[in-house]
Amino acid sequence: MTNQAKNPVLQIDRLCVSYGKVEALTNASLTVGEGQIVTVIGPNGAGKTTMLSAIMGVLGSKGTVHFDGSIEAVPEVERLVARGMNLVPEKRELFGEMSVEDNLVLGAFQRYRMGHRDHPKTLDEIYDLFPRLKERRTQLAGTLSGGERQMLAVGRALMAKPKLLMLDEPSLGLAPLIVREIFRIVTELRRRGVSILLVEQNARAALQVADYAYVLETGQIAMHGPATQLADDPRVVEAYLGLGGKHQAMLST
Amino acid sequence: MEAMRIIMDEHQSLAAIIHAIRLMIHEIGAGKLQPDFKLFAAMVRYLDAYPEKRHHPKEDAFLFAPLKARTNEGDEALARLEAEHAQAEGRIATLQAALARYTDGAPDGFAGFSAAFDAYADFYRNHMLLEEREILPLVKKHFTAEDWAAADAGFAATPDPMGGTRTTGSDDDFRRIFSKLVAAAPAPIGLGAGPYQDD
Repeated sequence: MTNQAKNPVLQIDRLCVSYGKVEALTNASLTVGEGQIVTVIGPNGAGKTTMLSAIMGVLGSKGTVHFDGSIEAVPEVERLVARGMNLVPEKRELFGEMSVEDNLVLGAFQRYRMGHRDHPKTLDEIYDLFPRLKERRTQLAGTLSGGERQMLAVGRALMAKPKLLMLDEPSLGLAPLIVREIFRIVTELRRRGVSILLVEQNARAALQVADYAYVLETGQIAMHGPATQLADDPRVVEAYLGLGGKHQAMLST
Repeated sequence: MEAMRIIMDEHQSLAAIIHAIRLMIHEIGAGKLQPDFKLFAAMVRYLDAYPEKRHHPKEDAFLFAPLKARTNEGDEALARLEAEHAQAEGRIATLQAALARYTDGAPDGFAGFSAAFDAYADFYRNHMLLEEREILPLVKKHFTAEDWAAADAGFAATPDPMGGTRTTGSDDDFRRIFSKLVAAAPAPIGLGAGPYQDD
């Protein structure tokens, strides 16, 4: 079974990435439909971040990337951002010496260069989504807590008004309470029409919000299917969900 | 099988709140954090409003009752779970009483609340383990398409009121409260915007 999304926003076909002689991603194919949350789960080192970097043009790759109706022969970051693709990297990559609001406004830079002047309205929308960022808008980004930094990273990406938002391990290093809030916001973004490619090690949380899921292992798509089906697949349960689940571990510590 | 996904999602919401309270108690015990009594009270209200009054009735009506109609496998576990659901009021009252003593400055207030909360968290751990390890597999084994349709409709009609990720409404008052709890909890447990302010 493949992801039979009616209006694919992103389709990658047989994407390969090598680091020297080592192939980190091998013939990976994947589809994200309009308004879908698609997740890629897999262990650390499986190639998840490599995949996102290749799609975004940060890493060179072989294969094809179709985005929003046209082929990106050689994906380039700047053009993809202008066309509506954005990535929230695992390390957030904020400007710690700049204020929260300045970090957010920078996210609209590409649109501003293209002549759009709607960033004040977008900023209000981001503050509506993340009230905490509004409270902290004059604070330096470097003084924010981990959860606030993640919210700022997502908010900055949203300032570019992406059609496709790619999130690399948004729950990494965050406490369960904040993870719940981040994933709630992810589903709210889907409701607002943003398509999302979510890369996560927290398979349980990811499969609960996703419409479709891929399992990436040692650089290859090992399994894929509707998230509800994968969440029930014995191989996924054994390898990624575990008996009792992550929340049981939370209660035991 | 949307009901299954919702129930697991709601278990995660509950576990996240319990985890947060447990961490705050630990940090207070270690002298690293001052208690935010209003936040504790709001979280205990959550435990009352959400798992006890919303989540359990859905399990009783849409999972346990139809399962009993299909099989007598798991009868013993179901009886235990239903009895535990019925004891909700007493469970919350115990926790609230312990929190009240702590808030009022009783000499053993912190130790009492910590012990009461440990008992509550242990109870939920065992309760959810029993559901997930024994009952949900039986549900998957015995439910008919008709049962699933009824369960899916029932669970979807009363979504996680505290920020579960599958809810679709945006103005649910409970969701706002959940976000408020996340914001007020001290970092790194929450966003660190406390102390908690009542509406």
